[in-house]
Amino acid sequence: MDNIIIILPIIFPFILAILMATIKFNEVKRNIFVSIGVILNLIFLITIFYMFGEISIHLIKLNEFLDIYLKIDKLSIMFSLLVAILWIFTTFYAMEYMKHEGKEKRFFTFFLATLGVTIGIAFAGNLITLYAFYEFLTLTTFPLVIHTDSKEALKSGKKYLIYSFIGATFVLLGMILLFSITKDITFNAHGILPALTKENRSLYLLSYVSMFLGFGVKAAIVPFHSWLPAAMVAPTPVSALLHAVAVVKSGIFAIIRMSYFIFGAKIIKELHVNIFLSILIVISILLGSFLALHQENLKKRLAYSTISQLGYVLLGVVLLNEDAFVGSLLHLINHALIKIVLFFCVGAIMYTTGKTDISQIRGIGKQMPITMGCFGIAAISLIGIPPTNGFVSKWYLAQGGLTSGEMIFPAILLFSALLTALYLLPVITEAFFKKGEHTIVKEAPMKMLIPIVMITIIVVLLGLFPNILITFIQQIASEVI
Amino acid sequence: MEGLMNNYYETGSIILFGIGFAILLLHNNLIKKIIGMNIMDTAVFLFFIAKGYVSGKDAPIIIGAHKGVQGYINPVPSALMLTGIVVAVSTTAFALALTVRIYEGYGSIELDEIIKMRSD
Amino acid sequence: MSIIQSFPLVIILVLLITAFMMPLIKNTKIIKGISLVSMTSVMILALINLDFVHKNGEYLYRIGHFNAPYGIEFRIGIIEAMMGLLFTFVALMIIWYSIYSIEKEIKQSKIGLYYLLVNILIGSLLGVVYSNDLFNCFVFIEVGTLASCGTIIVKDKKENIKATLKYLIMSCLGSGLVLMGIAYLYSMTGHLNINYIHAELVKCYLIYPNAVLISIVLFIIGLGVKSAMFPLHNWLPDAHSSAPSSSSAILSSLVLKAFVLLLIKILYGVFGMDILNHFSVLNIVLILGSLGMIMGSVFAIFQKNIKRVIAYSTVAQMGYIFLGIGLGTNLGVSIAIFHIIGHAVTKSALFLLAGAMIEQTGHKSLAQLKGIGREMPLTLGLFSIGALSMIGIPVLPGFISKWHLSLASIAAGDTILIVVILLSSLLNAVYYSPIVINGFFGEENLQGKVYKSKSKPLKELMPVIFLVISMIYVGIASRGIINLISLGLM
Repeated sequence: MDNIIIILPIIFPFILAILMATIKFNEVKRNIFVSIGVILNLIFLITIFYMFGEISIHLIKLNEFLDIYLKIDKLSIMFSLLVAILWIFTTFYAMEYMKHEGKEKRFFTFFLATLGVTIGIAFAGNLITLYAFYEFLTLTTFPLVIHTDSKEALKSGKKYLIYSFIGATFVLLGMILLFSITKDITFNAHGILPALTKENRSLYLLSYVSMFLGFGVKAAIVPFHSWLPAAMVAPTPVSALLHAVAVVKSGIFAIIRMSYFIFGAKIIKELHVNIFLSILIVISILLGSFLALHQENLKKRLAYSTISQLGYVLLGVVLLNEDAFVGSLLHLINHALIKIVLFFCVGAIMYTTGKTDISQIRGIGKQMPITMGCFGIAAISLIGIPPTNGFVSKWYLAQGGLTSGEMIFPAILLFSALLTALYLLPVITEAFFKKGEHTIVKEAPMKMLIPIVMITIIVVLLGLFPNILITFIQQIASEVI
Repeated sequence: MEGLMNNYYETGSIILFGIGFAILLLHNNLIKKIIGMNIMDTAVFLFFIAKGYVSGKDAPIIIGAHKGVQGYINPVPSALMLTGIVVAVSTTAFALALTVRIYEGYGSIELDEIIKMRSD
Repeated sequence: MSIIQSFPLVIILVLLITAFMMPLIKNTKIIKGISLVSMTSVMILALINLDFVHKNGEYLYRIGHFNAPYGIEFRIGIIEAMMGLLFTFVALMIIWYSIYSIEKEIKQSKIGLYYLLVNILIGSLLGVVYSNDLFNCFVFIEVGTLASCGTIIVKDKKENIKATLKYLIMSCLGSGLVLMGIAYLYSMTGHLNINYIHAELVKCYLIYPNAVLISIVLFIIGLGVKSAMFPLHNWLPDAHSSAPSSSSAILSSLVLKAFVLLLIKILYGVFGMDILNHFSVLNIVLILGSLGMIMGSVFAIFQKNIKRVIAYSTVAQMGYIFLGIGLGTNLGVSIAIFHIIGHAVTKSALFLLAGAMIEQTGHKSLAQLKGIGREMPLTLGLFSIGALSMIGIPVLPGFISKWHLSLASIAAGDTILIVVILLSSLLNAVYYSPIVINGFFGEENLQGKVYKSKSKPLKELMPVIFLVISMIYVGIASRGIINLISLGLM
């Protein structure tokens, strides 16, 4: 029972959320409460990693299958640190932004609860724990999505719920099929399944595809992607959170866990299913970029961009070689950072001017130089130009594509990079190189600006000095492939 | 066919059961439904009691000397069916009381007319 | 022969005797007190009995010291004891809730009558569960039918009368079929005691295959009508939605269950696995159960009245139980019984909460109950927990039933059923979520609603809180409960 400390980063945000819901705070006290809470959570995480290393604990064993098992391994460390750090930045941004949106109490309650659930997903040691926390994630993010309570928000929220529950049903189907073969669904680096034979081939295939599609709903694979642009009706901190950190990356994290730690790279190769899935993923990449070109609304443009970028990450997963896997994990982190910056900038524009569309932001670069400058740097990174971190991850992905032998993958990466430039650069040109109205607009407030700038600096730093991260990820990859 | 003819009690009871069942389901008038229910129940009683009959033996009433178990028909089904008849009577009484209340409330005891008057 | 062994008989006697005392007393407070005290004491007796059976194994209890097969016998195994505890516990919670709410639904003069009917109903249901003699079961079935019709009609509205009549007629149909089935069995074996019939039947079923088949079908249809097997469920939505809330709760969570338990006892106790496999009639039950699961939820989606939604949801949940029975394996039956337990606590809580909402706002339709989350937060919160169990969130009993049913389907070789089970739980989400979402969220829904304006005081909601806690407990302790059930089925 010594390892009980592992549940601290999960339970602590929940306790904070309950306190948030029941105690009356005024604005200042609330801000201090939340910010100290998330910072403390990060400190807990780092302390546990340093002092205990890779520990695990069977929390409750209700049944032979209903076994809540938490385990820390390198992948969990990576994901939970990413989550915790970005949560802190989002907290500071949200403290300022939500002044315009209201209902902060409800927002921060579910904000904190989602943090706990996401770390639970990171620490999940077997498939059933992952599934349980996955369902909770839908439940805790739903009130965030419909925050404004408008008719449109309710509609988008319903869509979100429907897609999520259908995805969860697919996952459950795959899990039950899997459970009939092996009673133990704990994650293990090389997969836990007995070898592929003629009899269980269709069972494995059905189970894998079912779970891939099920988790893929949250990871916004085409054709299950339409909840994501609809969810843009939420306030910007929520969009940044959903699209950079919590929901979509959890979906991808779950797919990685399921593919490499349950099935194992070898079995997937033998199933030949990665060929079919890669077609779906390529469609996601291209369709996402195409649709992004047509969006006037800035947030929707970024949403479709996310769909495309998530395709990159998934492509690295199904290519099944080490370079691609490294590229995929790198891009998971990098895209999170980049997309948060992009969303924060767009949110800053909405906060100071109320403008949402690309046609409305002419000349705003002159008046909000820092904001748009950071947007520019992040955009460059997403396109994949050195010396930014986006370039590093795309490089690895391209390497992985070459290693797999199919020339088409690097070609698609290149083509998509072109499309990315096509939909991001107009924002910068409209902002900086066109003459705008002469109304005076102030730069974004400090609480919003500082996170933007800091993450942008990280983006550049990771581009210049990526090695620490790469070494860590290569350790993960070598265990798995 | 021969079996059916020989066991005419059972055959008759099954035919009665079918008739009662059909009346219960198909007729609209509530009183007729209750009558059908009674016919159905009575058919089952007939079946059961007929099962207790042993040809050539007496009714189970001791007159004079006791003839031993071999001398009488099986009294158990008759006893059971007494219970059944009581149950059927009470159910019929309840159903009839309900029919009176429906008549007071809806003004009709034809089921299709009552369904049309769903409102209120 | 320890004294504890006679507890089941004592339970039924206590309930019946206290029932008949009630019309004699004029003071409603005392009536309610007697009802509470009697139900509490029988629950304690059932608990002690369960403990005894758990330690010492099952036993047969002769009534009146007449030996079977001439006398009537009670068979108390682990499952019967568990059901006894379940029924008395849920009934106690429902009666406790009804103490506060019953005045608003029925006339003052009828309250004594109401509690009389409830006690008789629970007594007869327990009789059905405990009895080992088929005709004795039949008598208790009839008593139960009349008592449950009484609990619906005690509220004197027009829709109630119509619903009760439909229920009565369908129930009598079912009883007639069951009696015919008993007649067939008696004519073949000459016994009425379940164990003796089984012993004889095993020897002679090949001689009269048609008669055995007819009697199986008669029992399935007869008891199916009474426990709302699709498509014989037509009476249920009207009856359960127009009755007073505590009656709806008892009907949905207990009455249906006693009859389906009798079906399980007859199918597996009287006939047994070999005969059933010989005739493959279980496939009918399987198909009808699957259809019920899907169609019940589909109908529920289109309902506008909240109680009708919950009533159709009951039809769907009974489909799960029939699926478990129809699989024909020990695991299937264990899960069916586990689902009985889980559903009993969940559905009673849902009906009581819906009753609270209707009582406080005066509205029944879903459209008018929007925004109720702000006015009655605790009520809707408890409702959401119940709804989450129906939808199938892990840890709660609904998920456990679904998971085990899927595993049992795979083990029995019918893998396609998993799709049906998962589809049905998805459909559950479709009609429960709007109630919860429109209650708590949505700006236009919440306009003009004052926080906690219509909340019921905490002491009135205590029984529902206990039911919800016991539901969560059933989910957490599921492994122990399922093991216990499997033990009882040996």
